[in-house]
Order: sequence, then C-alpha cells, then structure tokens
Amino acid sequence: MPTLTINGREVTVPQGATILDAARSLGVDVPTLCWYPQLPIVGNCRICLVSVAGSPKLVPACATPAADGQVVTTESVAAVENRRGVLSMLLERYPVHDIPDGGSRNEFEALVRRYNVPTTKRSPLPLRTGDERAGDPLIQHDMSTCILCTRCVRACADIQVVGVLDVAQRGEHAEIIVGADGNPEHAGCTWCGECVRVCPTGAIHDLIPLAKLKAESAAQPERTVRSVCPYCAVGCQIDLSVRGNDIQRVRSPWIEETTPNIGSTCVKGRFGFDFAMHRDRLTKPLIRRGWVKRDGTWRFEPSPDDVARWGRRGGPWREIREEATTRKQRPKFNPLQSLRLADAPLGDPRDRVATPKEWYEPFREATWDEALDLVASQLVRLRDERGPNSLAVFSSAKCTNEENYVLQRLVRGGLWTNNIDHCTRLCHSSSVSAMQRAMNTSAASGSMREVEHESDVIFILGANTTESHPVFGAAIKRAQKRGATLIVADPRRIELAQRADIHLQMLPGTDVALLNAMLHHVLECGLEDKEFIRTRTHGFEAVREAVAPYTPERAETITGVPAHLIREAAERYARGPKSSTLWAMGLTQHHTGTDIVTSLLNLLLCCGMIGRWGAAMMPIRGQNNVQGASDMGAIPMSYTDYLPVTDPSVRRMYAEAWGVPEERLSLTAGLKVTEIVKPESGVVGMYIMGENPIISDPDVAHAEEWFRNLEFLAVQDLFLTETARYADVVLPGSSFAEKTGTFVNTERRIQLAHKAIDPPGEARADLDILIELSNRIGLPAPFADASAVMDEIARVTPSWRGVSYARLEGSGLQYPVPDAQSPGTFFLFDDEFPTADGKATLTPVEFMPPAELPDAEYPFFMNTGRQLYHWHTGTMTRRATGLDSREPTPTVEINADDARALGIADGDPVRITSRRGSVVLSARVSPRVARSQVFLPMHYREAAANLLTRSDVLDPYAGIPEFKVSAVRIEPVTAERVEEGNGKRSTALGARPAAAESWSD
Amino acid sequence: MGYPHTSHPKETPVLSQYFGDPGARSLDGWKQRGGYRALEKALGMSPADIVNEVKESGLRGRGGAGFPTGVKWSFMKPGDGKPHYLCVNADESEPGTFKDREIMRWTPHALIEGAAIGAYAIGAETCYIYIRGEFTEPLRVMNAAVKEAYAAGVIGPNAMGTGKRIDVHVHKGAGAYICGEETALMNSLEGKRGNPRIKPPFPAVAGLFGKPTTINNVETLAAVPHILNRGAAWYKGMSRGNPKSTGTKLFSVCGNVAKPGNYEVEMGFPFKEFLYELCGGPLPGRRFKAIIPGGSSVPIQTVEEAEATVMDYEGFIAQGTMLGSGGVIVFDDSQCMVKHIARLARFYAHESCAQCTQCREGTAWTTRILERIERGHGTMADLDTLLELADQMTGKTICVLSDSCAAPIVSGIKKFRSEFEAHITGKRCPMGATAAA
Ligand SMILES: Cc1cc2nc3c(=O)[nH]c(=O)nc-3n(C[C@H](O)[C@H](O)[C@H](O)COP(=O)(O)O)c2cc1C
Ligand code: SF4
Repeated sequence: MPTLTINGREVTVPQGATILDAARSLGVDVPTLCWYPQLPIVGNCRICLVSVAGSPKLVPACATPAADGQVVTTESVAAVENRRGVLSMLLERYPVHDIPDGGSRNEFEALVRRYNVPTTKRSPLPLRTGDERAGDPLIQHDMSTCILCTRCVRACADIQVVGVLDVAQRGEHAEIIVGADGNPEHAGCTWCGECVRVCPTGAIHDLIPLAKLKAESAAQPERTVRSVCPYCAVGCQIDLSVRGNDIQRVRSPWIEETTPNIGSTCVKGRFGFDFAMHRDRLTKPLIRRGWVKRDGTWRFEPSPDDVARWGRRGGPWREIREEATTRKQRPKFNPLQSLRLADAPLGDPRDRVATPKEWYEPFREATWDEALDLVASQLVRLRDERGPNSLAVFSSAKCTNEENYVLQRLVRGGLWTNNIDHCTRLCHSSSVSAMQRAMNTSAASGSMREVEHESDVIFILGANTTESHPVFGAAIKRAQKRGATLIVADPRRIELAQRADIHLQMLPGTDVALLNAMLHHVLECGLEDKEFIRTRTHGFEAVREAVAPYTPERAETITGVPAHLIREAAERYARGPKSSTLWAMGLTQHHTGTDIVTSLLNLLLCCGMIGRWGAAMMPIRGQNNVQGASDMGAIPMSYTDYLPVTDPSVRRMYAEAWGVPEERLSLTAGLKVTEIVKPESGVVGMYIMGENPIISDPDVAHAEEWFRNLEFLAVQDLFLTETARYADVVLPGSSFAEKTGTFVNTERRIQLAHKAIDPPGEARADLDILIELSNRIGLPAPFADASAVMDEIARVTPSWRGVSYARLEGSGLQYPVPDAQSPGTFFLFDDEFPTADGKATLTPVEFMPPAELPDAEYPFFMNTGRQLYHWHTGTMTRRATGLDSREPTPTVEINADDARALGIADGDPVRITSRRGSVVLSARVSPRVARSQVFLPMHYREAAANLLTRSDVLDPYAGIPEFKVSAVRIEPVTAERVEEGNGKRSTALGARPAAAESWSD
Repeated sequence: MGYPHTSHPKETPVLSQYFGDPGARSLDGWKQRGGYRALEKALGMSPADIVNEVKESGLRGRGGAGFPTGVKWSFMKPGDGKPHYLCVNADESEPGTFKDREIMRWTPHALIEGAAIGAYAIGAETCYIYIRGEFTEPLRVMNAAVKEAYAAGVIGPNAMGTGKRIDVHVHKGAGAYICGEETALMNSLEGKRGNPRIKPPFPAVAGLFGKPTTINNVETLAAVPHILNRGAAWYKGMSRGNPKSTGTKLFSVCGNVAKPGNYEVEMGFPFKEFLYELCGGPLPGRRFKAIIPGGSSVPIQTVEEAEATVMDYEGFIAQGTMLGSGGVIVFDDSQCMVKHIARLARFYAHESCAQCTQCREGTAWTTRILERIERGHGTMADLDTLLELADQMTGKTICVLSDSCAAPIVSGIKKFRSEFEAHITGKRCPMGATAAA
C-alpha cells in the first residue's frame, strides 16, 4: 500500500494503483483523453503527464504505478506546458475555429477551454478525414474530429469483445478504420454503440432517428432521466436525453457506477427507443363500432354491413395465416451501404411496418370515461353472469412490478379468479417448475458480475446470449478472455459456440441424454461433490441409478455429440472449482422442459456448483420484467413471492391487505396462458395488457381464431397490435419512457426507471389505467403513485420487505431484501435451500424424444427464437427505425449443404410447411445451423414462425409448448407459385405494386 | 569496403573477420573457422556464469541505447515458472546503418550461435530473429543457416546433444521502421499492430506474449561467442582507456566520403583518424561539413566537433551527440543541410506509429515547415515554431522516435542556422538543391 503525495496532499492507495488512480481518489482532476475506466491503458494521448520529484521527464499519470514516497505535482509548469502543447497540436487538425466559452460540446473542447489554448491555426496540415459510414442507419462517423485516442478501438475489442475498429496507416495518415474493407458487417459489428459512448469528441456519433429531431432539437438535451432498457432481462440502466416531449437519444450511465451493464448497451438498448415516439402510437381509447350505451347498459349492436364484411370482431385485414404465404420483399442489396433510408428498396421502414390504416376501420375513438366504463361493466357482467373463471387476464413482462401487482390484485380481489398469466409461461415456466421442485426457488441464485469476474467454468445451454442478452454475452466473452473455460451446449453454432472451448452441438431436444451422460461420467470419475450431496441434497441414489445407463457412448448415439466431448465437458465442469450454469429457452421450450432443466439441476447439485460466489445458477430471463411479473404474482398459482393461492393462510393475509372478504379470493390455481387459449378453457372474456399472443402463442392460426370468438376482449397497449385489432376496447397505454416504476432483471435486481416524457395524446400511464379500472370494478386501489404501490408490495412480500423507492435509486437492490437495513442478496443458498429441511431434492429423469420428429414428409427440425435486432413479436423493434432497417425482412437460417441439395440460394424465397401451416420467407444460408435443421425468428407478423409450432403438446408441469422442435418441410418458391397467395393487398408491404417486386437481385 | 574484403590495418576485425568470405556461411565452414565452440562451452556452464562473464566483458547494446548486455540478461529471473523468450532485433532500419545486414549476410551462424548462448543464459527455450522485410538476401541466408543448424542438431530440442531445447524462428518484418523499437517488435511478432508499448512493465517482466523477454541487437549477440571463447578480459582490453566502453564496434559509413562501407574499430578510436584514414577523407576537391555519427536519430555534429571526438559511448556524448547504432552519415560542403534535415523529418513523419500526439502531429508538422523553408517559402517565425515543436516532441512520448526526429532539427538549426536563414531571406535554396520528391 504505497503512500504518496499529490499536490501537497498525502494519499495511500492499493498496490498496483496508478498515479492517476491516486489523484482521482483525492478528487484531483488530471486531464485525460485516451484513458477510460476499465479499458486497457495505452497512454498514447500524453496529456496526463505530471511531474514527479526526482524524475527528469514528465511521467504519464495513467500508466505510472503509484510508489511509496513519490511527490507528484499535477499542474506543474512543465506539465501544463505539455498539456497546452498536446491540445494545440490536436486542435490544429480539428475542424472548429471557435469554441464558445463555457459552451464546449465535448470532452476535448472542455479541456481546450480549461487550459485556455488559442484556437488559431498555424499548422499546414490538412484536416483529418476518414470513414463516414455513409448510409448507416445508426452510427455515423465524422473523422475530421477524431483525435485518435483509440478509446473506440479498445471499447470494441475489450468491452464488447468484437473488434470491428482499428487504427490503420501511420503518421499523419493514421485513421480509425471499420473492418478491413470499411464494411462493419464483414467485421462482425453489432451496432452496439459502445464506440459512440466512449468517443470524446463525437467523431463517432449516433444518428438521431427521427427526422424532426434532427431539425429542431438536436441541440443539448434539456434533461437526462435514468431509465431501464425495455428489452431483455439484463436490465441495462440507460440515461434518456430528453428535450421537450421527445427522447433524443440514449446515453450510457458512467462506467464506474454500479449498474448491471457497467453502462454498456446493445443495439436495441441504445437505438431501439424511437418506437415510443412512433406515429402509430395510440393516442385515444378505441371502441369497436357497434357498442352503444343505452339506459345505462352497454350493448353490442353492430351494423349489418360490418357484420357482413368481417363478422363479429374481424376487420379489413388478412389473417396471420393468409399473410404468411404471400411473397415477401427483401432488400436487393445491403441497405447499410450508401443508401438513405427512404431510398432503400423496401421503402421507409416506418411505412413498411406501420399499422395499416384500414386496421382502424372497425373502431371509433372514445373518451376514457366511456372506454373504462365499458371495460369495467363487461368484466363485471361476465364475472357475475358466467362466473369468475370465464374471465382471464394476460399481464405483461414488459410492464412494471407495480402495474403487474395492481393488475393481479384486480384480477384476484376484483374478478375473483386466478386466471392471470403472462408470457413467462412461454419462456421459463419449466425452469421455474424444475427449480421449485428441486430447491423451492424461482430465480437465479447468483449475479452476472460473479460470472464475469469469478467463475472458472461457464456452462451455457440453449442460450444465444450474444444476440438475446448481448450485454451479458459481452461479459461472458470478457470472462473467457480473463481465462474462464466456456462450454456451450447448443444445436446451433452461435457466436459463443464458435468461441467456446467445448461446443456440444446436440440434436434438438436431446438435452436430458446429454446431461445425464455428463453426470454419469462425473460419477464414474468420482468428481461429484460428495460432501455437498450428503449434507445438502436428497434423492442422490435414485439419480445415480437413473443416470447409470447413460454412458457417453449411448448419449452420443442419441445426441450426436462425440462421447469424448461429453466426457471432457463433464470433467471440466465438475472440476470447476467454480462453475456457473446458465440457460435459456433452448432448454425450456420443450414438452420435456421441466425434465431437461431437472437433469441440469441434478448435474449442478451433484457437483455442488451453487451457493458460492462464482458458482451461479442462472436461468437467463427473457423480457426486462419477466422475473418481476412472476414475482408480483402475475401467474395463476401464486400471489407475490410465489405464495401459493391454494394456501388458506396466505389467502387470509392478502384478503386483509386488500380489504376484500376472504372467500372472494379463489383457492384454486388459475389457468395458464397455454390453457386459456383453448376452446375448452371456458374463458369468454379477456383483458390483455401489453402482450401480443396472436404472434407469440404456439399454433397462431388456432390462437387467432380463438381470440376472434371471444365474447369480450379489452387490450391495453401502445399500438393496434395483431391482437388488439380483435378487441372491443383498446386502451392506449404508456411506453417505458412514460412512466415511473420498477423492473427486476435476471439477477433479481429491482431497478427504478423514471418517467422521462408524457404519453402521446390522451394515452395514459398504465398504472393509472389499472388503478381506475380497479376502482370501477369495485376493488379500491388507493395508490397515489407507483411508490405507494411499492409500499404495499413490500408489506405483503416477505422477500421485498426492505424495498422502498428511496432505496432503489442508483444500482437498485437484489432481493431478498428482508428489511430496510439489508443491502440485498448477491447470491443465494450458501448454507441452505428455502425448503422445509433446507436441502435440495434430486429427481431422476429419463430421456424422452421431442414430440414431433422429422420424417419423410417433414424431414427438417425447425427451431425458433430471437435475432439481435428484433424483439419478441416485433411491435416495438419493427417500429424502431434503425433496428428494423438492420433486419427488415423475415428469413430462415438453413445450412449450406441442405440449401444446395434443395436448389436454394442465399436470399431465395422458400416455403416452410409444418403440419400446422406454412410460411414463405427468404432463405439465409448460414453456417450456424446444422444439417437437417432450420431456424426461424419469431418476430415477423408477415411470416409468423408460430404458425408452424404446436400448441397441443405441453410440458406436463409447466404447460410450456415445444417451440424449439417442430418437423417441417422446405421448398423453394418460384415466382408463379407465390402469386397465388398474393391476390389481396399486402398490409405489410402494401405500398409497393406487386409487379415491381422481384425475388432476384 | 568492397568484397572480397580486406580490412584496413587500423581496424580490429572480430565480427567482420569473415565478411566477404563465402566459406564462412555454411555450418561446416563456420565450424572450421572456430564456430560453435563457444556454444558448446556455454551449454556446459551455468547460465549465471555466462551472464557474469558477459557483464564482466563490459559489452553494451549495439542497437542504439547502449545498455549493458549482461545487466539486461540478469533481469531475467530464473525459475519463475514462466516461459522466457529471446528476441533478436534484426530490423535494422535506422537510416545510415547497415552493419547487422552484413553480419547476417556473411556470418549467419555467428548470430545463431550468439542467440543460442543468449537464450540459454536467460532461461529461454525459444528465440525469435525479427529481420527487416526488405533484407531479402540476409533473410534467405539466415533461413538456410537456421535450417542447417537444426539439421545438425546444433539447435532444436536437443541442442548440441546436451538435452537442452533451443528453438530459433526467423520472422520477416513488413516494412515498418518502428518495429525495430523493442516493444513494437514484440507486438508485431504477436501479430498485432507494431505500436511501442508503455513501460513499465518492462520486457523482462512482461514482454513477448506477456512473458519475460530479453531483446538484443544482432551485433550485440554476435559478439557473445567471442567473449566466451576468448574471455571477458580480452574483450575488455579492446578499449582505449575507457572501461565503460569496451570491445569493437562496427560503424557503417555512407554519404560524401571517399570509401563508404563497414569498419570495425576498437572503442575509443579517434574519429578524425577514422574519417580521414580509414574512410579515405572527403571526395576530391570537397571538405566535410557535417557528420551524423550514430544513425539518423542522433544530433548532427559539425566537422570540428567530429574531429575532436573519440569513438565510444561517452566520447560521442562529450561532443554533443551519441554513438547510437554506429551509422556514420557524412555531408560535405556541396550539401544543403536544410534539405537533408527536411528529408530526415519526413522519414520520421512517415514512420511514426501515430500513437503519441506529439509524435504523430509534431513529425508531420515539422516536416511541412522544413520542406516549406527548403523551397524558399519559410519565415523566420518558422524557426521558432520548429524549435518549439521540437521541444514538445522531446522526452514526452512512449518511445524515442519523436525525440529522434527532434534531435537533428534542433542541432541542425543550432549549428547551421545561417543556411536556414539564407533559404528564408533568399526565398530559395542557395545551393540550388530542392527537396527530394
Ligand atoms: C524507433 C526505434 C527504432 C529502433 N530500431 C532498431 C533496430 O532496427 N535495430 C535494433 O537493434 N535496435 C533498434 N532500436 C533499439 C531497440 O529498441 C532496442 O534498444 C535494442 O534492440 C536493444 O538491443 P541491444 O541492447 O542489444 O542494443 C530502435 C529503437 C527505436 C526507438
Ligand atoms: S513516439 Fe512516435 S513512434 Fe514512438 S510510440 Fe509515440 S507515436 Fe509511436
């Protein structure tokens, strides 16, 4: 611990600290340009040079270790003279003649002002030039202001671990380049914008996506508001720059703040916010034409005309099923290169994916009073006439904890049913059922940063982290760089699989065989954690017997993974010493999802890889609040904190808290998403908040039919979605930027997002809508604001008892937070599990093949999932200009050998058909998928992957459908054959005359 | 010095003894001339004893900085459990310097032997010889010699049958002067952009691939076998009374001189005698005007200063310059100093790796000004700007390329100011020269 003197003040710093670290700890501001926290130190700008007594030369503060007895002067005459020299040299080639006093626009200009450097030019050197990324929809370069600090190069290589940028040339010609050929695509760019974040001059900057912002208010933001990214469950904290009622851009929180993302974002987080200001936003409540209130009673009396045209609740649109088989246009060349957006062959993306005008035809605008009155009256009517269980509610993993809490409170206390669920059913419900059975828990045991900094082995299964959770994906890549072993189990050769030390490329749905074999080998080598098994688990013997027949050789025949790789993976995982286990939908979305996760938990528990810092168990959650929505009880079997609805004492507690008669609260678990959308469910009325099941549910064609036949449907959303178009009432809600509330990320971190702008028009904050609806239904919701809701949540939720808004500012809190003093919980289960006797239970599982296997007629495995640039059903991302222009059309990934055998070239139209339906979309020949497998993204209405998936086989415990395996057939589509389906005007691509479209380049 | 080569009687040919003798190139030929005895001897000694012997000899780095070689070797901690590396700096790109080229061309095994001894002494099993890419002939010769040495078991997994592993790899540079800087060379070997690294950490702590590394110049290593064969005392004896500068040194001589070439003399040899006797003095009818004695990176001397110099590390410093790499560049009275200084600046501007602000901007900026003056478009204020820039470029950057660019500018303006002023006031070059295109 060296002690040194800086500007006359003594300071002691940890071994290994630099002079700069020491100065910063004293609050001494040594100017820097190339230095940036957490980036490798290169010391190239030479501006932080300081005087050290006894040293003939100035030394770089950023790169010189602090040493005992050093006497440092940071603003010595020599140091200041050098700084002015550096700044004036940089200014010579900087294209600005005047930096307004106090009006410096960036870090560099601020230093020029601080050291009072004259801006007159003396040098004969030309201004710098360089790449401009012309036509790029998201990131632009103006290299004339580049000062070659190389922060961007290092941010790309060392924070995001991509390596798109570098320095080329030498001397005065040195410049930052994008890949070897100037094409970011070829260099693996993911448009995350880390370079934008670190640039000290704005040479690399983001494009403000909306044209009107460019014109009026590109200037300084009026205010900056801390929010939480609305996409995945990493829960990146972001700062919204706001001017007027517009979000100008997303800025990163400072890298040294404790945020789950160290201020990084992915492309969605940084560039995907403009959907909130999209012109499709609903600004007034809508009521389906035909609803009239007479004598105080609402009646539905549609005009015979309307009924004749589109039935009880249809409209002038084609069903998802019809749209799927029409031809799709695709970009004829890379829209990123030298094209302005409006010139792109697909037209302006804002038009391409906008809500078609005719969708509004069946509706009329209404007042809030009318709309809420209608909703309340119909829900109450159905409750009383058809019974509480005739109603069901979809809550939302995109909505805040407070909103989810108030909605489930309304459903249980006001509608008297437990029929509330949300899309968790479709993602991690099988993880939850497996984890509950094994250790009575429903969330990750650890934190993302322990995986990054501590784990020796990272075992990732069925999780395409670099696309679905990119910021966590980058952390995993950093972990590997630091030396952690990466083992990836995935049927696709995704980026992490390519980087992995071991890639277990199993056949889809064969996970149990793989994991049982790994455990078999661990036991055979005696690598299991005997002490852990003995003291902390039950049921080991049964599992030992169950895995005994699963030799690696046998597993090889089932999974296709070579036995030696299974052995090696098993040994490395078991040897740890600290192995973290991460998984996502690749494991869960199977009809055997619970079994699959159970087999993983068996392995994990037998190796004792839980309950230590660095040995984390992490189901990587999908949506930004899927964890919170479940925690808040927006699931059919439990109240908040997973307290079962079937337990009378639990019921008593909530009845008291909500002031409702105990017997009003149902003691039977409600229906799950996948059970509700079934003819036999008995549900005739629904309220849906912020979900779009007509795209996200399996077997969409049946789902669409089911929603069409409801007696009453109310939808609260931002847009007139594919689901909302069937509604009787549409209530315009608020985007993430328009409300204050909390979200829970995948590591149980409760984070506070603040309202930045007002909802457009008459749209209202979702919480207000729910509170008013609750009051109108007869369940008083006496909440002044979101913070008051949180206070009630804390009262009824044991593991959130210590949570309050005052404590959530900044990094948030990882629950359990048992009391107001608790700092939260970074990792769980260090000495016991939350079970009756504190032990976990091992459950033997047997391999069962996927429900539908390829055969002669349907010879391909089809896998579905997410892409980097889109999100879920696309309602948000397809209205985010930049994101949609990166990935404008639906594609199916197919292996090159298969493509060749079928006579399909990259970009060709193909038809994919399963026993449920078929879709037409472009082929993307990709080395990522194995032979006989195809991958369909789930985001596109015009080629909805879920038309092909199956809804009739569900996981028996969790009710999750088998999204990951369907048998399909693929055919190339010739131009004539597409024509058939093209009779009606395409709503997605309507603006384009059909004749102008061509499949060939 | 032409080939076949005859040394001047006042030379002390140790390293250059077989220059011009094709027989010395092959392994057998080298062995016949006493080659590989030193390696054999070394492999029988303890590494510490070799390091001590080299320390004792007073051998200093011939790459430019003149750091005592034995001391450098002693920084490599034996038994730290990490792989150690030896890098041989054969990037010889310093303008005016061409001595390593001749060592490799004529006596490749001298370098291999020295490198093998060095590797063993610092506990390295792997040695990389980084050769300037333009050196096509030396590359060919070195590659052939390494192959031959492997085939004969001189180096390899069982070097000289001793069971010790010494691998030697030849790596071809790709045309960047900066890759001769030791840490840039390591980056280049690692496949990265050849940027010098900030120090600390020093190579002996974290060098090539982050492992302890020693880097030596070709000439430095080629001297090592002689020291082991004939003893430190013999080597130390080759000096004219200055115990800090010992042994022989190869000087490459070019420019306006009667007999350019490589000359090997004892440390402390009088520079005047060297210039006028060994190198044959100026061309007929000419007089020497200025000398750059240690490669382009050292300050320029006037002829008076040069004539008063003794040729060793301290001797050059006493006369305002440095021994550097020993590349002697001679200018006579027909030369325009402004033109040559501008040319040097342009070289550094072209070669700057562009990391450091002062170097990237300063080398380019000073070049533009110098070229402007040279063409007769300069002003008196330009001279002040040049000195101001040179000051900013000195002592503040990651490596000394920036200083190297400043050195000739500062010394040139100081010592030949009247030539600069004549360009400015006369608005043209008084000697009729124009800057090279
Ligand atoms: C810009 C620059 C270029 C250099 N080029 C060379 C070179 O070509 N050959 C060389 O031996 N040393 C060169 N050096 C010196 C090396 O950095 C290093 O000092 C030398 O290789 C050490 O070997 P030695 O101790 O045997 O002299 C250069 C240094 C700088 C700053
Ligand atoms: S001084 Fe010049 S050559 Fe040396 S590291 Fe800095 S920029 Fe590169």
